[in-house]
Amino acid sequence: MKEKYLQILGIFLTVVYGFFVAWLYWAEPKNLEDFSTKAKETIENTTTQGQIIIGTYEVDAAKFADGLKAFRTDNFVAARSFFENADPERRDARTQFYIAYSFYRQGFGKLYNDDELFKKGLEQINRVLTLDRNFKSDDTNLQMKTPAELKNEFEEGLRTTVEDFNPFRLTRERK
Amino acid sequence: MKTEEEQTIKKVEEIDFLPVIDGELVETSPVEIDAVDEELTIVSAKNKVIEDRRPKTEDQTKIQNSKSKILDQKIYLLLPFIFLTVTLLGGLRLSSPAGDVIFWRPALFCLISAAILMVLFFRAGLISVEGWFSEDFTALKNIANGAVLTTLFAASAQIFNALLPEQGLPFWVFAFCFFWTLWNNLFADFDVKKLLRSLGALFGLAFVVKYLILANLAAPASESWLQGIWQNTTKEAFTWLLDLPRFSAGTGYIQFFTVVFYLLGLFLFPNSSEKK
Repeated sequence: MKEKYLQILGIFLTVVYGFFVAWLYWAEPKNLEDFSTKAKETIENTTTQGQIIIGTYEVDAAKFADGLKAFRTDNFVAARSFFENADPERRDARTQFYIAYSFYRQGFGKLYNDDELFKKGLEQINRVLTLDRNFKSDDTNLQMKTPAELKNEFEEGLRTTVEDFNPFRLTRERK
Repeated sequence: MKTEEEQTIKKVEEIDFLPVIDGELVETSPVEIDAVDEELTIVSAKNKVIEDRRPKTEDQTKIQNSKSKILDQKIYLLLPFIFLTVTLLGGLRLSSPAGDVIFWRPALFCLISAAILMVLFFRAGLISVEGWFSEDFTALKNIANGAVLTTLFAASAQIFNALLPEQGLPFWVFAFCFFWTLWNNLFADFDVKKLLRSLGALFGLAFVVKYLILANLAAPASESWLQGIWQNTTKEAFTWLLDLPRFSAGTGYIQFFTVVFYLLGLFLFPNSSEKK
């Protein structure tokens, strides 16, 4: 073999073996089973990152549809799981808006709201605002169409005021 | 009379002005060659290297080419493989008693020590900068050589990771001893043989202390705390005091071969990527 080809082969093998060693120390698999799981995860992540870089990243439509179905049947935990899998990189404002909305609907209470869920919802809606400030949902089933409205609802829900003790609050409806 | 004296002085002056030719006896190996092909070489200075410009026979050329190929294969395939294997195994530990694989990442100290070791390699002449990087080489050769040296650096960092205790007081004691030795070596006059002997002794001692003495001071992980205090009071005390990790015995065997591979790699490492 010519010296030139030997050098190319040497560089190629060194880079491949070097990346493998670096990956092992990064992923830290504990056994062979763990090794295959982490390898699969890494390949999926790399593929998604590649799609983002070349601009072909898309939300998984099937998973999104499953999430929407679960959302409409008030199965919010499952809905969030589907939405998160549909948009693993959290780059789609529409999917992230539904996740935030699921926190609102799950945390809403006529007597009192679930503060933990509302806090998570507030974080989530801020992410939607970062992604797309002018986002507006076209879903007719949602009463709040913009992130600003939902954000206001979360902030009001987390604030303790005299209005919270008004007995007429029991008649309010979930949006 | 006067004319005779003048003639004698003139002759002496002429002798003084004779050109002095400085040279030395050059012995050549008894090779039978045609006198026609031989080139005349004039030795003008004492230390001049005389090139053998005689045409090489076909066999000689073949031997030279095969030697060059072997050297290239050693540099670009064997050495990176050895050093990357050391990099892989250097941080490998087996947990006790489950036997799970743990990849222990190198501490910052390991990188610093590896950098000092690289400087030491250059100073001692194990690696010659001109022999590995040169404007006369192609870009590809320079990159390939850089990759080989990078693997050497990675392996050096991992060898410290392998030999340093993982945490606690022993880590700092070992780290101090390594740093002290390397720092002293940095200012000492070394040749390659002495450097390799010194490193062999340093790594050998560290291996014995870590994997024979300290590993045997650590209490077995399978025992409960109370059982440990009842049955192995001293070991339990040392484990607690020195913050010793409890690894499986297989870790010592893996690290033994890591050290052997590293020293083998250094032994095979050529001073220059060019054939002399």
